[in-house]
Amino acid sequence: MTTTYLDLVAERATGRVTDEVRREIGGLVGVGALISEPAELRTYECDGLTGFRVVPALVVLPMSTEEVAAVVRVCARERIPFVARGAGTGLSGGALPVADGIVIGLARMRQILSVDARNQRAVVQPGVTNLGISAAAAPHDLYFAPDPSSQVVCTIGGNVAENSGGAHCLKYGFTTNHVLGLTMVCTDGSVVSLGGDSLDQVGPDLRALVVGSEGTLGIVTEVTVRLLRKPEATRTLVADFPDPGHAGDAVSDIVSQGIIPAAVEMLDALAIEACEKATGAGYTVGSPAALVVELDGVGVEVDAEFDRVQRICHENQATGIRIAQDPAERALIWKGRKAAFAAMGRVSPDYFVQDGVIPRTKLGATLTRIGEMSRAAGLRVANVFHAGDGNLHPLVLYDGAVQGQAERAEELATAIVELCVAQGGSITGEHGVGSDKACSMPKMFTDSDLTVMALVRAAFDPKGVCNPGKVLPTPRLCGERPGPWRPHPLEQTGVIERF
Amino acid sequence: MAATTSPAPAGSTVQRPSSVDEAAGILRSSRGSVLFRGAGTKMSWAGRPKDPDLVIETGGLDQLLDHNPADMTASVQAGMPLRALQERLGEAGQMLALDPPTGPDGATLGGLLATGESGPRRLRYGALRDLVIGVTLVLADGTVAHAGGHVIKNVAGYDLSKLMYGSLGTLGLIAEVVLRLHPLPEASASVVVPASVQEATARSLDLLASTLEPCAVDWVGDPRGGGSPGRLAVRFEGTAAGVAAQTAALMERLDGSAPEVLTDDDETALWRQYTGAQRPEAGQSTAFAGTLPSQLTAVARALADGVDGADVDVSLASHSALGLHTARFSGPPAQQASAFDRWRRGVLAVGGTVLLRQRPAEVDATVDPLGPAPPAAGLLRAVKARLDPDGRCAPGRLAPWL
Repeated sequence: MTTTYLDLVAERATGRVTDEVRREIGGLVGVGALISEPAELRTYECDGLTGFRVVPALVVLPMSTEEVAAVVRVCARERIPFVARGAGTGLSGGALPVADGIVIGLARMRQILSVDARNQRAVVQPGVTNLGISAAAAPHDLYFAPDPSSQVVCTIGGNVAENSGGAHCLKYGFTTNHVLGLTMVCTDGSVVSLGGDSLDQVGPDLRALVVGSEGTLGIVTEVTVRLLRKPEATRTLVADFPDPGHAGDAVSDIVSQGIIPAAVEMLDALAIEACEKATGAGYTVGSPAALVVELDGVGVEVDAEFDRVQRICHENQATGIRIAQDPAERALIWKGRKAAFAAMGRVSPDYFVQDGVIPRTKLGATLTRIGEMSRAAGLRVANVFHAGDGNLHPLVLYDGAVQGQAERAEELATAIVELCVAQGGSITGEHGVGSDKACSMPKMFTDSDLTVMALVRAAFDPKGVCNPGKVLPTPRLCGERPGPWRPHPLEQTGVIERF
Repeated sequence: MAATTSPAPAGSTVQRPSSVDEAAGILRSSRGSVLFRGAGTKMSWAGRPKDPDLVIETGGLDQLLDHNPADMTASVQAGMPLRALQERLGEAGQMLALDPPTGPDGATLGGLLATGESGPRRLRYGALRDLVIGVTLVLADGTVAHAGGHVIKNVAGYDLSKLMYGSLGTLGLIAEVVLRLHPLPEASASVVVPASVQEATARSLDLLASTLEPCAVDWVGDPRGGGSPGRLAVRFEGTAAGVAAQTAALMERLDGSAPEVLTDDDETALWRQYTGAQRPEAGQSTAFAGTLPSQLTAVARALADGVDGADVDVSLASHSALGLHTARFSGPPAQQASAFDRWRRGVLAVGGTVLLRQRPAEVDATVDPLGPAPPAAGLLRAVKARLDPDGRCAPGRLAPWL
C-alpha cells in the first residue's frame, strides 16, 4: 500500500457556523436548544482533560434522534466539524471542541426508554448516567456492570464512545461486552441501527467497532444494554504490604490460582496518605502498599476463595488485613479508593495522570522501575490502579509554580507510558486516546496499522466532519504541546471522582 | 455424522503460506477473487462464494505463538485448530472458554472468529468477540495490520478484531489472534429435566432471575410438542463445593419434575448430544437465529408452523437463556427451503436475526441465505469498499448485502 494514514486523514473540514447556519439549526431544534453566548460557550471548552481548551462556535442541545440527525445533516452539507459530548468527564480530551465547530451535547436526551427485566435488557438515551441505568434496574435486582468512577455523572453515550471500564471490569468486561444495540446518526445525517435484541447479527460486528471509537464514527442516540443479576454474595478486604512488589506478587498469585476477583486495586504509600486525608476510610497511613480485593458470586464459592485470598496475602507478607464487615464498611473502602485522584490535591499542587497498561506479571518490575525513574527525575509518583488487569494510573506530582517542573513532570509521565508499551502493554486502558494521546499512537501501532484504522474511519466519515483530530495522529495536532493537568470544575466541587 | 469439511473448490489455485509475510506476499502479487479457508467446517454458511481464483489455506499458520499462563493470554496463528490449542492450554490448567459445535471437527481460531460461532458456555464466558483482545489482518492488497494488543484492558485505536467477528472472510485474512484465557474449572455438573418449549422458556427466565450462575442453559426438543417434547440441560462449573451447592439448589427448585444430575462421562455424553443436535446430517439444513430469551416459544411456534407436508422434519436446539437457536431441517430440499423461509419470516417478525448455515445446494434455488438487508448495509459496503476496494475477498459470501 502506497498511501499512509496521513493521506487518509481527511482535509480539515472548514465549514463555518455563519448567522445563517445558526438560524437554520435554531429552526430545527428550537432557539432554546442553542448556546452561542461566549461566556456560556466556555463551559464547553474542555472535558475532564483540562489542559486542552478550545471554545466552539456553537453548542446544540438536541432532544431526539431526529434533531441530532437534522443538525448533523446541516454540518455534513456545510462541512462543519462537530463533536458529540455527554457529561464532559472524559480524561483524554475526546470531547474537546473543534474551533469554529459545533458541539452536540446529548445531556438533554436522558430518558430510560424501557427496562425489560425478564430478558435483562434496558434501552436508554445517551444522556442517561451510568449509575442511572443501575438505579432503574435495581428494583429487579439487576444492574449495569461497567462502573467507571465518574459513574454518578458520566453518561452511557460517553461510556459507549470510550468503551469505559471501571474497577470491576477484570471479571465483568467493558462497555463493549454489555452493549447489544445502538441507534446511530451517521456522519451524513442518516440514522441506522447496529445490533439489537439478538446477541449476534449477520455480518461484521459494526456495533462493536463503534463502541470505543471515541465519537469519531457517528453519534449514538440510543443504546440497548445488557443487565446482570446482582450476585448472591460480595466480600471485600484491604490488605497492607511491606512494599508494592509483594502486593503485586499477591495479585499474580491470586489470579494464577484460578481466582478471578470482581476487583483488585492497589494503592502505594502516597496514594494511601492522600486517600486517608481526604476520606478517613480507614486505610493504614504509613503502609508502603495496600490491596483492595473484592470477590462476588455464589456464596459458598466466594467464601472459600475469600479464605484463599487471605492466605495468599499472608504468604506474600501482608502486614495486616481488614475485612469489610457490612455493606457500609465496603462502601467506605470504595469511597476511599475512588477519592484517590481528587485527594492528590492534599499532597501536591499539580499532577499528570497516565493510563498505561502492562501485562499483570510485569507489575512488580514496572513499579520498581517507575520508582527509579521518579527518583532520577526528582519528582514524586503516586500509584493507584487496577492491579488485576495491569492498568496503571501513575500520578506524577509537581508544583507548577516551580520553574521547569511541569515540563519535567510531563516528560516523566510520557516516559512511564512508553515503558508500558515497551513491555507489551498499551498507552491507554480506559481513558481513551482522544486529543491527549493521539500523538502517542505511533508508539504502539505501525504506519500500516494506522492506515487501516484510517481507512475504517474514512468509510464512516468521508468528509472528516465527525470529531476530527481525535484518536489518529495528525501533524497539526502533534506539533502542539498539551498544557498541565488542572482539576475539572466538577471534581473540585466533589461531584465526580477520578479513577 | 456426515463429512463436515468441504474441499477447496476445483479450478482454484491453492496456496498455503507458513508466515504472515508470505500470506501478504501472495496477496500482494496476485489478482482476482480469493477465499480464505481454515479447516473448511463452515464454508457453506451464508451466501455461496463464487468459485475463487485463489484459495489461501491457513493450515500452514497453525502455531501457538505465545502463551503467558500468569497473564492468562495467548497469541495464536489463525490456522491453529481450537482443539489443538485447548490441549496446549490444558497443560497449564487453562482454556479458551469457547465450545463451538465444529470444534471437534478441527475448526480453526481464524475461522471461528470469521464466522462468530459459539457454544453453550457463552452464557458465562461470552463469545469469541468477548475473548479476542488483538488481531493481525492481511488485507487483499497485502497490507498487514494489527489492532488491539496483548493486554486484556486496552482502548487504544479501533477494535478491528471485533469487526472481523462475523465478517466471513469478506474484509481480509485473519492471520493471528490474541486471546483472553480462563482457568479450567475444578468441577462441573449438569442437571437435565424434561421440559416442553413453554416450560423451557419459563425455567430459563427463572434461572436468569435467580442468583444461580449456570455456565450453560440449553433446550433441545421437538418444536411441535409431540410425544417427548424436549429436555432442558443446565450446567454449573466452578469449585467442587460451589457446583454441589448450585446443583442442590436447582434440584430443589425442580423438585417433582424428574430432574437428574449428570457428571463425568455422562455429562460429557449429554453435551455431545446437545451439540450434535446443532449439526446437520447429510442432506439436511441448519439455520441459526438470535432473539430475546423470552421469545423461545415464538421461535419454536414459527418453526412448527412452517412445516408444510409430511416429508419435511424439523428440530430445534436452543441456548435458551441466551436466545440463540439452531433449527435443523430434513426432507426434500424444496420443502426444507420453504420451511426455512417461513421460520425466518416468523423470527424476523419478532425482531430476531437469522442466518442460513449448512444446506444442500438445491435449497439455494428458492431462498436467499441472508434475507433482507439491514439498515446498516450501507455502512458495511462503505467499510468493504475501503478495505477491499477491488472486491477480491469472498465475493458472494454476504451477497446481496455486499
